[in-house]
Amino acid sequence: MKSVILSSKKMEEILKSNKESEEMNHDAEINETGILALTTLAGELLLKNGSEIFRVQDTILRILDACGCTNRHVYVLSNAIFISLNEGMDDPCTAIRYVPLGTVNLSRIAEINEISRGLCEGRFTRDEAMRKLEKCKKPWSGNPLFMTIACGIGAGSFSILFGGGFAEGFVSFFIGFFLQVMLIGLQRTQIPPYLIKILVSIFIPLGAFLPLAAGFSLAFDKIVIGSIIPLVPGYVFTTSIRDFFNSDYLSGIIHLIDSILTAVCIAVGVGLAIVLIQRLGGGIYL
Amino acid sequence: MILQYVIHLIASMIGTIAFSILFYVPKKQYLYCGLTGAIGWIIYCALNDLGFSLAFSNFIATLVLTVFSRAMAIIRKTPITVFLVPGIFPLVPGAGIYYTAYYIFMNNPQQAGVKALETVTVAGAITLGILIGSIRLSPNPNHRTNIS
Repeated sequence: MKSVILSSKKMEEILKSNKESEEMNHDAEINETGILALTTLAGELLLKNGSEIFRVQDTILRILDACGCTNRHVYVLSNAIFISLNEGMDDPCTAIRYVPLGTVNLSRIAEINEISRGLCEGRFTRDEAMRKLEKCKKPWSGNPLFMTIACGIGAGSFSILFGGGFAEGFVSFFIGFFLQVMLIGLQRTQIPPYLIKILVSIFIPLGAFLPLAAGFSLAFDKIVIGSIIPLVPGYVFTTSIRDFFNSDYLSGIIHLIDSILTAVCIAVGVGLAIVLIQRLGGGIYL
Repeated sequence: MILQYVIHLIASMIGTIAFSILFYVPKKQYLYCGLTGAIGWIIYCALNDLGFSLAFSNFIATLVLTVFSRAMAIIRKTPITVFLVPGIFPLVPGAGIYYTAYYIFMNNPQQAGVKALETVTVAGAITLGILIGSIRLSPNPNHRTNIS
């Protein structure tokens, strides 16, 4: 019989790692609810920050796989998550979350993706991952000045892209700037979101009209087109069609209606402002 | 003509990066988002100038843009959404919505209909571009199913 002589330090290490894995198994056995809380939080945060349905479902399943839960059922909608574990066994548990449609925050999506990757590759323990996810819950609105300037630059560049000149781009910059100011301000009030979109869309053509009234000859339509781009629901619409093709019909409908309503609000706001300008200007300008 | 393309290249990059900021894209990905948007727009412009239809130009531009976003997602180790969301901004039919509203409120239903159809067509072409661009040529080893 071969005998292995181990140094006392090595013995300590082995004993310690045995104890740790025992603790982990113990944790795994009694902490189904912990796993559920972790994976539900991850899914909820992803959904809240505007991720695709596929990614939310995939992340939840990955985490559950990494934690060893094989008896699981997951259903994700654009605004809800349903998870049930261990059905038919001794300790079934369920989680249901309603997740209202929020603004897209791509940094958060990338961060949560990274956390779930780390957990599944073994770089983070469950507690560490939970702590990091808790940190992602905090609302984050970014530097307002930075955002408003970015909106202005975006609106200006797009006016140029759609055929305007530098003058139109210049005007669009200011419209985009105040557009973002209005959005930030109005979102703090209790005004319903679709009404906010209509109000802001009324402002855009009126803002574009000011330099015209002052006597400058500018391409009115190019200014307005560039300035409404921040509002246009491009991504939400394409996500909805992608959901349809993934057989997520309900999620697709939710996003589709949201994007159609937004487009209608923009059209109504812009149209009202145009009619106003026409009446005020006596038909000269438009 | 070259000058116009250069201006468009710069403007689309700057515009896309500006909107990336509004979507809270991580700072180190700004440049790549800008590249994605610029590529989509330049291809669209080029195809349009060559005489192809609106739908076809948008479709091919979005297709290339989606494939590029996938490459970027792998290279930069970030979800594809980070590049795709800002990238399609130059292509979304904002002009279509404006003109549709304009003609409706100016009591010109025929032109309104034309523009509305254009808007829907472009939206559809973009969606088709993303769908085809997302096709995986090899089976996905990481594909997870609900049933285990």
